[in-house]
Amino acid sequence: MSGKIKKNCSRGRTNDPQTDYERIFHPRRLAIIGVSAEESGTGFGTGMFKAITAMGFEGEILPVNPKGGTIAGLNIFKSVEEIPGEIDFAIIAVAARHVPDTLEACRNKGAAGAEILSSGFSELGTAEGEELERRIKDIASTGIRVVGPNCFGIYCPASGLTLLPGPDLSRRSGPVAFLAQSGGMSIDFAHAGKWMGIRFSKVVSFGNGADLRESDLLRHLKDDPETKVISMYIEGIQNGETFFQEIKAAAGKKPVIVYKGGLSRAGARAVASHTASMGGSGIIWKSILKQVNAIQVNDTQELAQASLAFATLPPKTFKGISIIGGGGAIGVTACDTAETYGIEIPPLSADLQTRIYDYLPKPGSSAINPVDVANPFVAPQVLKEVMLAAAEDKRIDLQIIVSLLFHYKMLALMFNKPVVEVTPYKELAQAVSDVVDQTGKPVIAVLPNARKGVDNLDIIEMIAMTRQEYIDHGIPVFDELHDAIRAIAHVNTYYGGRKNAKR
Amino acid sequence: MQKDKAIKIISDALRQEQETLSEYEAKQVLAAYDIPVTREILIRDKNHLEKAIRKIGYPLVMKGCSSRIVHKTEKGLIHVDIRTVQEAKKAFNEILAGLKGFDGGILVQEMIKGRRELVMGMTRDAQFGPCVMFGLGGIFTEILKDISFRRAPLKKRDALDMMREIRGHKILDAVRGMAAADKKLLTEMLMNIGRLSADIPEVSEIDLNPVIICGSKPVVVDALVVLKNA
Repeated sequence: MSGKIKKNCSRGRTNDPQTDYERIFHPRRLAIIGVSAEESGTGFGTGMFKAITAMGFEGEILPVNPKGGTIAGLNIFKSVEEIPGEIDFAIIAVAARHVPDTLEACRNKGAAGAEILSSGFSELGTAEGEELERRIKDIASTGIRVVGPNCFGIYCPASGLTLLPGPDLSRRSGPVAFLAQSGGMSIDFAHAGKWMGIRFSKVVSFGNGADLRESDLLRHLKDDPETKVISMYIEGIQNGETFFQEIKAAAGKKPVIVYKGGLSRAGARAVASHTASMGGSGIIWKSILKQVNAIQVNDTQELAQASLAFATLPPKTFKGISIIGGGGAIGVTACDTAETYGIEIPPLSADLQTRIYDYLPKPGSSAINPVDVANPFVAPQVLKEVMLAAAEDKRIDLQIIVSLLFHYKMLALMFNKPVVEVTPYKELAQAVSDVVDQTGKPVIAVLPNARKGVDNLDIIEMIAMTRQEYIDHGIPVFDELHDAIRAIAHVNTYYGGRKNAKR
Repeated sequence: MQKDKAIKIISDALRQEQETLSEYEAKQVLAAYDIPVTREILIRDKNHLEKAIRKIGYPLVMKGCSSRIVHKTEKGLIHVDIRTVQEAKKAFNEILAGLKGFDGGILVQEMIKGRRELVMGMTRDAQFGPCVMFGLGGIFTEILKDISFRRAPLKKRDALDMMREIRGHKILDAVRGMAAADKKLLTEMLMNIGRLSADIPEVSEIDLNPVIICGSKPVVVDALVVLKNA
């Protein structure tokens, strides 16, 4: 028992400034070990080489394989030692039994860090796997930081480092950092971010987490100027005390959003008191995250949506909102949802209602708030006037525009034109962007689609293009009104909680 | 705060290989941490009963008190609203019979009047260590599970947040002619449970249920302190 504690202490690294994250995330000289010269090579090393090349990595790539040869016109070094000069970072994709020696060689070459894609370590639960991972930890403690093993690595749009199967991730940097042990979760989140308009500072999948893990990375990201929002998927953590302190410190500086997986009920635990029997991991995690003012979400979609909201909305609370849309019982459902999340949809002042009503088609429209524009074909210019007017109400902190664009399919059929041509999505995005510029109040766009079958692929395409148009104007887009309101509520919880803490 | 006193009680209990503290011991530990508990006297001899009654005053509660018996209600070891010597003597005999040779005594306790029952407690989470609980007490604790937790040590704000967080938080307000609960005192109690848990790792779980709001003042009426089995 005491031996176990001692071991933990000796690995606990407090002198974090030694870690050169700059060279880890933005390496200039990058070794990839386990690259095959064969054209048909399908190994992780070769896959990573191709992915990083496709990403347009701007530094120098130094491929390594004992068999030598060439790849994409580059000489393959037979060993790490053969590489002339220092390296900044290494990607290791060799068989598990060769990993410790390879890592040691990288350390000797001055690498600040390495990501180990290989599996075959503690995740196997075998004595051999445990022993290999212990050796990795020992080497890591001597001055090279390790991401992995058994991971998909680091994605950093600014440098062009990418996750294992990610040759086509975005090179545009943004404010969101994502952390997960799971490589699959990381790559899926990175892909989802690309179409949703979430831009990343860095994504780290740390697999078994032999060295760098949640707490170290939180400590780094807290002070990372590239990162404004931290999102994480957590299965397990290594040290509750350290994690608590680090997430608390990080959430004190920037929003931290957590999806905690694997929350079990307490029933199975053998305890004597009612307190302990009710204190299962689910409620304890919930409480801990509240205590540190981190935001808890319940699935990856919600995680992505919250990340988008935090990344695109101004850092404040949004108490009152206006909703502009047409049809679909929008008024009632919007009010129900908003109330659930403690957000108000106040009726607009009488004079604004009169002005707005003048713009709207009749009958069937309503200017109260939600503003029901009665039909889905109201021109973007009219919607703009409506939103400009609604924003004049002091109680409105944010506006949501719900566009049922799938109805344009009717016009497409009527005029025998492609739906993407009859839908004024560019004008719509421009109009909304103008509203944001002129009012200084953020607008969220919601693009529901009730028609997603194979007979409506043209609608799916048109909505995807609309979304991209909005994203290019810096307007966040959600599929459903509920998702948008829930995401706003997360923003409110965070900034409301922070204000509370300062009191 | 009398940390040393609390530690002595717990060390003695551990030496006796107790798995829990008796209610009497538990309340002494709590009192050492400035947590308000019922006034009570532990007696073993029937001849001491009347003196105890004079000190506590009617109406009173009598309970069997042993570290070996955890669920007293189910075993008929609690007699409430005792108002005469005859009732007290009858209760004494019945409880003594109910103890059936368990090592323990009989607790003569003031009866706390109040319609609002809360629960406070502590569990040690495998990851996060001691976590303090607050919620609706009495029979509602397990039915409604309207509870919240915070990791110890607690800040004042943590304690206030946990009280605000439960669905039934309005029970603490001035409702139906009852005074608003003393939130300052509740806050201190929660923070002190946190302190106790941080100071004494041998305490593995705590249940204070019910904590009754008497007027505006919360008082711990029953207490279970589970010790770490070495």
